[in-house]
Amino acid sequence: MLSKLLKYEIKATGRIFLPLFLALLIFAGITRFISAVGPEKWATPAILSMIIYIIIMVGMFVMTFLMMIQRFYKNLLSDEGYLMLTLPTKPWKHITSKLLVSMLWMGVSVIVAMISILIIAFNKGDISDIAKGFTRFYHLVLEQLGASAYLMTFEIIIAILLSLASGILIVYASIALGHLFSPHRTLASFGAFIVLSTLTKIFFILVSFNGFSNIYFNISSINDLVGLQSTMQMVIGYGIIFTGIQCAAYFTVTNFILSKRLNLD
Amino acid sequence: MSVILECTELTKKFASKIAVSGVNLKVERGQIVGLLGPNGSGKSTIIKLANGLLTPTRGNILIGGRKPGIETKKIVSYLPEKTYLNDWMRVHQIIELFSDFYDNFKPEKAYDMLKRLNINANDRLKTMSKGTKEKVQLILVMSREAELYLLDEPIGGVDPAARDYILATILSNYNENATVIISTHLISDIEKILDSVIFINQGQVVLTSTVDDIRDEKGKSVDGLFREVFKC
Repeated sequence: MLSKLLKYEIKATGRIFLPLFLALLIFAGITRFISAVGPEKWATPAILSMIIYIIIMVGMFVMTFLMMIQRFYKNLLSDEGYLMLTLPTKPWKHITSKLLVSMLWMGVSVIVAMISILIIAFNKGDISDIAKGFTRFYHLVLEQLGASAYLMTFEIIIAILLSLASGILIVYASIALGHLFSPHRTLASFGAFIVLSTLTKIFFILVSFNGFSNIYFNISSINDLVGLQSTMQMVIGYGIIFTGIQCAAYFTVTNFILSKRLNLD
Repeated sequence: MSVILECTELTKKFASKIAVSGVNLKVERGQIVGLLGPNGSGKSTIIKLANGLLTPTRGNILIGGRKPGIETKKIVSYLPEKTYLNDWMRVHQIIELFSDFYDNFKPEKAYDMLKRLNINANDRLKTMSKGTKEKVQLILVMSREAELYLLDEPIGGVDPAARDYILATILSNYNENATVIISTHLISDIEKILDSVIFINQGQVVLTSTVDDIRDEKGKSVDGLFREVFKC
């Protein structure tokens, strides 16, 4: 069932995002082309297409954010919820499918944005320079850290994905909590968001106080990259655990409300 | 006969008012039941509670002995009073969605009914009138071989000619083990297909009876009795 939900979620959102990505790449190409033709004669069109390019870029990131809210609210908690929530699937699968697809589009947006920048700014030899830089960096890191470099990269990726997920799930949880306050749901959702972020900060401070002594002890022993590395790994480790707990809490709240406290208008 | 829908002391309060109040009800399989009452009497609320779209304040509602959940959603086919279709899909895409999620959905039945009502499966839902959307929804709901059909105001928004076809569809599409519960206030239109009725007013059941009993014992039509009971 989860795979079917994912399929429909991608269909429903892809029809918005794919044209946006295409438009961004096309305007990056146009900007590049016009600027290449000749700077003086083509100044105005070049600026114009650059502005359109930037607007599309901003629009794309705003859209990933709006879409995340809209797909959750409109598809599950407004009229469309009559269809979605009477399908024979568990609510957690709805939440998971929406979360994963939101993360997917956010990730792809970043990649498409980078490609478009490359299109505009690309010069001959750049690619090999970039590649050279990467290889040098890779060797340097590997030399200093050894095999644990892979572990660290893996940890960083996990940490990024988890923070993205927690950013989305806090919004889902806020909307779900707002849903409990029948006449003023939107206002209540904003209130819930403020309360949830405050609670999270308090929790973070409490956790840091506990972890702080360990990290402090480690910082005092930093005198080379290896020492720095173990401290960094510790910080990232704490970050992963902390963000993971956050995600789990927001997910549990959202799932509880969708399965036990649902009240569709 | 076994019971398909059972409510015990079912109560639903909203912020300011009680929509359903201590309802006790048993509906047996294999009949078409009219859930009848004036506007705002709690008909839709009971049906939404049966679908798990609302959480009861007190009491219980059971479908085939189970609380609303995955297992009940598999056997319940629900037509809400709202249009739940998103506007960007085409009719055939929504049919695919139903085939994907419901094992008991029969697409050939749906295409057959679409043809009868002159609805093009390639049309976008966005371009359709409200009445046509309602027809599409009813077709989707009746193309499932469910054990319990919960139809909330199925004929409210469609023209009288389509009404007859829809009622005939409801009659011909359910098997003898299935149960159909129709909520409406357009009683004279559906009276002829009902086996029994539940009258509901201000969140409480005021009468349950078979249609034959109403005719034999009271010498009235359901419509006549309804007008008498709910006289303003």
